[in-house]
Amino acid sequence: MREWWKETLELVGDAVREIRGHKLRSLLTLSGIVFGAASVVSMTSLAAGMKQLVYDDLMAMGFSRSFVAYDRGPRSDVRTAAGLRHRGLRVADIEALRAMPGVETVHGRNFPREYVVNAPADRRRIRIEGVDAGYLELRNFRIVGGRSIRPLDVENRSRVAVVGSELVRELFGNAPPVGQTITVDGVRFLVIGIVAPIQFDIIPADFSFVARRIYIPYSYLTRYAQGGGRVDQALVTATPEANFAEVLRHGELLLRQRHGGADDFEIDNEAADVLSDLAMADNILGGWNAVMFTIAGVTLIVGGIGLFSVLLISVRERVREIGVRKALGADDNDIRRLFLVESLTLAFLGAVLGIGGGAGLTVVTELIGRQFGKPFAIPVSIPGVVLAVIFALAVGLLFGWYPARRAAKLDPIEAMGGV
Amino acid sequence: MLIEARGLAKTYRLGQVDVQALRGVDVDVGAGEYIAITGPSGSGKSTLMHILGCLDTPSTGSYRLDGEDVGSLSGKRLAHVRNRKVGFVFQTFNLMPRLTVEENVALPLKYRGGVPRGERRARALALLERLGLGDRIGHRPDELSGGERQRVAIARALVGTPAILMADEPTGNLDSRAGAEVLATFAELHAAGHTIVLVTHDPGVAGRAQRVIQMSDGRVV
Repeated sequence: MREWWKETLELVGDAVREIRGHKLRSLLTLSGIVFGAASVVSMTSLAAGMKQLVYDDLMAMGFSRSFVAYDRGPRSDVRTAAGLRHRGLRVADIEALRAMPGVETVHGRNFPREYVVNAPADRRRIRIEGVDAGYLELRNFRIVGGRSIRPLDVENRSRVAVVGSELVRELFGNAPPVGQTITVDGVRFLVIGIVAPIQFDIIPADFSFVARRIYIPYSYLTRYAQGGGRVDQALVTATPEANFAEVLRHGELLLRQRHGGADDFEIDNEAADVLSDLAMADNILGGWNAVMFTIAGVTLIVGGIGLFSVLLISVRERVREIGVRKALGADDNDIRRLFLVESLTLAFLGAVLGIGGGAGLTVVTELIGRQFGKPFAIPVSIPGVVLAVIFALAVGLLFGWYPARRAAKLDPIEAMGGV
Repeated sequence: MLIEARGLAKTYRLGQVDVQALRGVDVDVGAGEYIAITGPSGSGKSTLMHILGCLDTPSTGSYRLDGEDVGSLSGKRLAHVRNRKVGFVFQTFNLMPRLTVEENVALPLKYRGGVPRGERRARALALLERLGLGDRIGHRPDELSGGERQRVAIARALVGTPAILMADEPTGNLDSRAGAEVLATFAELHAAGHTIVLVTHDPGVAGRAQRVIQMSDGRVV
């Protein structure tokens, strides 16, 4: 077996020499295989790269281990027993959820509502949202000036505000906003920071509304503005180690118990939404892959036909050589191997060139992405490279078989011109 | 006897007609003999050489080469016999243009299987030295003169230490000086104990052999 490999390796050397003797012809022969391999590599790389980008984007939204409890607000069935027990989601619920095993964080939130805001440069109605400490960070909103809302701000129900980046010029003109004071429905708030939206690589979600809101501690709204300790939403994030389904089930059970069966909240499984988005992305990319593989496969087969015809020409050109080799003691197997190795070497060479081209295409795509302000990375897909090599070798074997067989079957006397 | 052929006959089918190239030939060649097979074209001398050189098998008759019955071997077995027992020298040299002189000479050992590269090299180099081509090992065939090419081909024929050396018009493509050189080489090899079977239509070349087998119309005359 080792012997066989050594001999084959020598044959590869001979084949390379033969190919170098016909550089242009070999290159033209290979073009189909080169394109096929290049499309396999670039398409798998692009698909894998896109998938990673979608995945990163979805993960960046911070929902992958989260579920949300919503307040359901007042209901029409206040005269029923359950209706009478209707209390809505409360700050105390948040505390209870925080104490649950497997829970990493719970962020309380009050939905944005319009208030009249008085600022140095303008007076207008703006949507004010109550958030918990760490919420802006969890959602990957960017603090582009000053600081974010901290736990102490929430605990003290501090009158501090983080202003959306698009509002800065309108509300403060050219003056630096951090440290200035604004009033919200007549109550003075200290501006502590500026927030800008999350930026996605690829998914077309629009978070620009972030830049047009003002964020204040939700505890302030809970106590003073909306009152009664009611919160609109509790965002529960499980620890990475926890079984998310369990945490979700226990969390819902806990709230049901605390609310005595009142139908005054609802649970939304955000993680499942993320998963279904991922599955949808997978599906789309899977379809794309199927189309691309068909195209790549057809290209490779066309390349194989090119290889086939050139090998037949090569066999015809070298009839005399084949006859001489047989006279020197080469048997049919030796000749078949000679041509099969040449075919496989050509195909492999084509695959290598194609892989280089495919990798080049991913770089070009990255550069184009950068031009459009999307600096994403598309690593060359290793399975794509392996697949391209396997495909090309299969084509080399398939289309080299008949020419090699034809060479092997030549009669030495006839091949040498009836010497 | 190294070669013992009895009643060799060969019939080809050319379209609708059968052509009898050989019509019952007996040949005996002893070890160390230098034989010339000669005759006009169409006399059957090439066909005889093909059969004696194991490139072809007789339609009828028996052929023993070096004690082995090779008259009815299959293609693969016949290739192995050619590789071990026969060394060919052709009129047009038939060297591989892309291989160096040394690689050309070592080529038959490649088809023997199991001969390590180093040994193949060493044997090729030794033969090239012996034939006065030691300074040509790295050259390509097209960088050599006709006489040198034919001597490379002789080295290639001898590298596998065959039982017989078969030469088909070895001087046919050479000028008289180079032809004389090659014939001198054959004479040396004969003196060193090699068995040589040479096919030629040139009486001058045939005259250098110990014994001449004259062919005509598929028979020895």
